[in-house]
Amino acid sequence: MTQPYIQEPNRIQEEALPLPIGERLLRNQCITPQQLQEALQRQAGESDPKEHLIGKTLIEMGHISHPALLECLFHQLTRERVAYQLNPSAPAIIRFDNVAKTLDGRQVLDGLNLEIPAHKITAIIGISGGGKSVTLKHMVGLMRPDRGDVWVGDQPISRLSGQKLNAVRRRFSLLFQEGALFDSLNVTDNVAFPLRETTALTEVEIRHRVETALQEVNLAGMGHKFPDELSGGMKKRAALARALVTQPEIILLDEPTAGLDPIIENAIHYLICDTYMRTRYTIVCISHAVPAIFDWCHHVVVLHRGRVLASGPSLDIRNSTDPTIKQFISGDLDGPIQVI
Amino acid sequence: MLTLIQTLGRYTIEFIAETGRMFLFVLSTAALAVRPPYRFNNLFKQVHFIGVRSLFVIVLTAIFAGMVLALQGYYTLTRFGAEGMLGPAVALSIIRELGPVLTGLMVTGRAGSALAAELGIMRIREQVDALEVMGISSVQFLVVPRILAGLLSLPILTVIFDVIGIFGGYLIAVQLLEMSSGTYFSGIESAVVMRDISTGLIKAFCFGLIVTWICTYKGYYAKRGAEGVSQATTSAVVLSSVLILVCDYFITSVLL
Repeated sequence: MTQPYIQEPNRIQEEALPLPIGERLLRNQCITPQQLQEALQRQAGESDPKEHLIGKTLIEMGHISHPALLECLFHQLTRERVAYQLNPSAPAIIRFDNVAKTLDGRQVLDGLNLEIPAHKITAIIGISGGGKSVTLKHMVGLMRPDRGDVWVGDQPISRLSGQKLNAVRRRFSLLFQEGALFDSLNVTDNVAFPLRETTALTEVEIRHRVETALQEVNLAGMGHKFPDELSGGMKKRAALARALVTQPEIILLDEPTAGLDPIIENAIHYLICDTYMRTRYTIVCISHAVPAIFDWCHHVVVLHRGRVLASGPSLDIRNSTDPTIKQFISGDLDGPIQVI
Repeated sequence: MLTLIQTLGRYTIEFIAETGRMFLFVLSTAALAVRPPYRFNNLFKQVHFIGVRSLFVIVLTAIFAGMVLALQGYYTLTRFGAEGMLGPAVALSIIRELGPVLTGLMVTGRAGSALAAELGIMRIREQVDALEVMGISSVQFLVVPRILAGLLSLPILTVIFDVIGIFGGYLIAVQLLEMSSGTYFSGIESAVVMRDISTGLIKAFCFGLIVTWICTYKGYYAKRGAEGVSQATTSAVVLSSVLILVCDYFITSVLL
């Protein structure tokens, strides 16, 4: 069993700090050294240079297109995924120890043992009703197990309450399936909401961070809109901005691409990749976008009947010979999973 | 026979469990109400929603309640040659009984149902969970301001109801039935004592708690789906209305 990962809230450890995006683009030969230098000079002239927005500056200067930038980041993620497959060692930031949960008389989690590697993108897949969303809710203490423990770092979140629970929860952001944006607030206020309620930031600082978050999800200028005026993809992006604005340590995504068309689905995947490359947060994503999701994550957990059927690097799971996993990936009706 | 006993037993256990949950809910709300952060903006918004926006329906109900009381009272009192007691009859009925009860029922219908539906929708759209994940107590954020607003608004609305109701009685007694306004108001002045007013206000305070407590509880624990919200809203309104009438009896019997 890997050692529990102990980390101060909202503080990324030194070794996990991402390589600056500009350097990464240069290393991947997406831009020339001269172009990077120009972009850095332009940023240096700004009142508030933002290193993680160097990509935006490069796009504005015409050195790289937005799709090309995302494509570069995706290739970098692919290299990292291959490296992770060769050496799948990462400290666990979330750990489930023999967790059981019964809902309405049905055993949803049945002795679940699970580890989520820190600073990696982990996808939880499995058939509907397999306990994926319930697992996610246990991670943030929205549900408590009937048996077993859920650990976040060295904190047993399943046994915490009150202020201690809230302190651990502030290490997380959760992107709900439908976004869970507050209907009475516009996009700006929705994104600003956690900052206003849980931090002592001034209104000027909050506005600044909200604008940055909206830019990062390509929703700049849409802040005045209310949730019911947004399309499904825009809602997801607004909710992602709200999840990112608090600079959490762990981001949980509950089916971020459910109900979206293939182009928006792809855009959301690129956005998750972009977010990961900039921040190196731990990202846990429930997804039915199989097999596409294998290209976007380091680690995959297959849940089946409330237990982990398989867990490991995405490339290993994709090539698994387990008949249940094979059937799930191929979508065949014939196999161990009987739905009809 | 065994099935009947089993069914009765199950309903009894469910009733006791539900009652226990409701009391725990209001106790945790009380504990969180005194704990920072204090969200006065939320409180003012809810006072506006529950209090100010209920004003029109309260005024309308009060004026017609006063008018019908005056009409019925006059018809009854003339039989005993006691028309001069019309003012006190209208005023005492409104201040002690009709004011707080009708205000409670009107607020239940207008604001209570909306509270239950709003919280129910927030629950099914996972907005309540979103608050919790942000490390914000959803009870403190959503329930505390609504219950405090109910406690503040109901007594004020009841006072407004009382004044408008007595004015409605005045319109009928003086303008329609040509009774002397001096008789109407002097009778009220001599008959109504502070205890009558405080009884009405105590009732209003209790009804404010009942309406907001029941409606927020039902909405907060709404089950999944639109049907769950619809059921929560209906049961919130029915239970609040019934509890207002039941509590009215007990408060009256204690304070009389």
